[in-house]
Amino acid sequence: MNTSDSEEDSYNERSALVQCESPTIPSYNQDHDMSLPQETDTKRRRPVSSGLDEPGPVERERASTPDGEEEELTLKYGAKHVIMLFIPVTLCMVVVVATIKSVSFYTEKTSQRLIYTPFEEDPNSVGQRLLNSILNTMVMISVIVVMTIILVVLYKYRCYKFIHGWLILSSLMLLFWFSFMYLGEVFKTYNVAMDYPTLVMIIWNFGVVGMICIHWKGPLRLQQAYLIVISALMALIFIKYLPEWSAWVILGAISIYDLIAVLCPKGPLRMLVETAQERNEPIFPALIYSSAMVWMVGMADSSNPDSADERQRNEGGALAQEGVESEDDAAQGGRRRYSAEEDLEEDRGVKLGLGDFIFYSVLVGKAATTGGDWNTTLACFVAILIGLCLTLLLLAIFKKALPALPISITFGLVFYFSTDNLN
Amino acid sequence: MNLERMPNEEKLSLCRRYYLGGFAFLPFLWLVNVLWFFKEAFLKPAYTEQPQIKSYIKKSAMGLILWVAVLTTWITIFQHFRARWGEVGDYLSFTIPLGTA
Repeated sequence: MNTSDSEEDSYNERSALVQCESPTIPSYNQDHDMSLPQETDTKRRRPVSSGLDEPGPVERERASTPDGEEEELTLKYGAKHVIMLFIPVTLCMVVVVATIKSVSFYTEKTSQRLIYTPFEEDPNSVGQRLLNSILNTMVMISVIVVMTIILVVLYKYRCYKFIHGWLILSSLMLLFWFSFMYLGEVFKTYNVAMDYPTLVMIIWNFGVVGMICIHWKGPLRLQQAYLIVISALMALIFIKYLPEWSAWVILGAISIYDLIAVLCPKGPLRMLVETAQERNEPIFPALIYSSAMVWMVGMADSSNPDSADERQRNEGGALAQEGVESEDDAAQGGRRRYSAEEDLEEDRGVKLGLGDFIFYSVLVGKAATTGGDWNTTLACFVAILIGLCLTLLLLAIFKKALPALPISITFGLVFYFSTDNLN
Repeated sequence: MNLERMPNEEKLSLCRRYYLGGFAFLPFLWLVNVLWFFKEAFLKPAYTEQPQIKSYIKKSAMGLILWVAVLTTWITIFQHFRARWGEVGDYLSFTIPLGTA
């Protein structure tokens, strides 16, 4: 089955955007998206300085507290947010690995490929296979870049409806079509009889409530659960349809791209952020995982200006990349935001783009597929968490947007190849 | 969304929308409604909109119980009689277990 273009697009866009972040953005956004961090920052200055996003405002707002206290507060938020991100990332990976180990569908290799990886991998010739993987990767990355640019252009020319529609379409596909496929495979694996009426009810309820929670208003925990589930679904699709070697090369390439995008001063994401900041408006509701209770801000509520800010920040990464899957984009952005509401002494939590979830899960899922036993899977899992922790630490130190993918993926790849080749 | 920070009118409007939405064959939405607003409706000190929220929660709960009963009945009937129904059973089936008579 060839996944639809939109699905791929959205996914690619998400990852692409998130990874690009202008280094000048002082926010803590880990996304590449430059737009988001900047937007957030400017917006943040108004209410409360985000703890880590901007050292300036934070210090200003905390002028009354002694420096030691400020430091302490910052660190405290950092540690708490690390844990708050560990849990969803772990959950997502657990879902993916559990599915991979039990449902054979996602590990069966098919001759179908995504159109983004058109070169077939020939198992007979190592050189040819390597070459084809690299070519596949180049195709995929260029698709991501193009999507990002399209997204930025769309945003610049105020085609909001188009972007909104795109996002909604992509989340519709994830919530209905992919979950339908997933459910079908699970039932087949466990040899359970299922009738169409019940199935339709299940999928309908799951999908509609998911759309409501993600794009409108819903309980935070439920929204987080849905985001984890769709990230897992997306990761499973990637695990199934990306050819063996291409997947690894793509993972590496995306991390490098992320790194470059974040450190380079020019880029579509930056334009996106700057434009959004100029217009002083929220970008559009994308999917970004938010780990904390956001007061008065519904993560799914785009009408709320604060959430819009949040969303913008997070989405900045995603938006730039690709409008297709706003969620994906947002996910990739992997923005982390530490914000402290000074007057309310309540932190807004940390946001991580869904693309980061997806790629982490792809790495661990592929390790579960090909690894002989659980050692490889566990090693990759630990590697990713270590990388995530380090990234958050760097975020706290440098106080500017950093990409979420490179460190984790690098550790994951190193651990995978070394553990797999131990015997 | 944090209910704590929403003004009461908004809470009522949200509860009401969830209640009305559930009529579109969405018992899950009713379940979410009940769970989410339960504390608001029953465990909080009274405020003006609370009785209305309570009534919506109660109605959602009733609708939910009704749907659960209907679905349980249907699923039981289907699982029990599926093999006996022959062609109709197969037509209704999404997945057919292997190796069962």
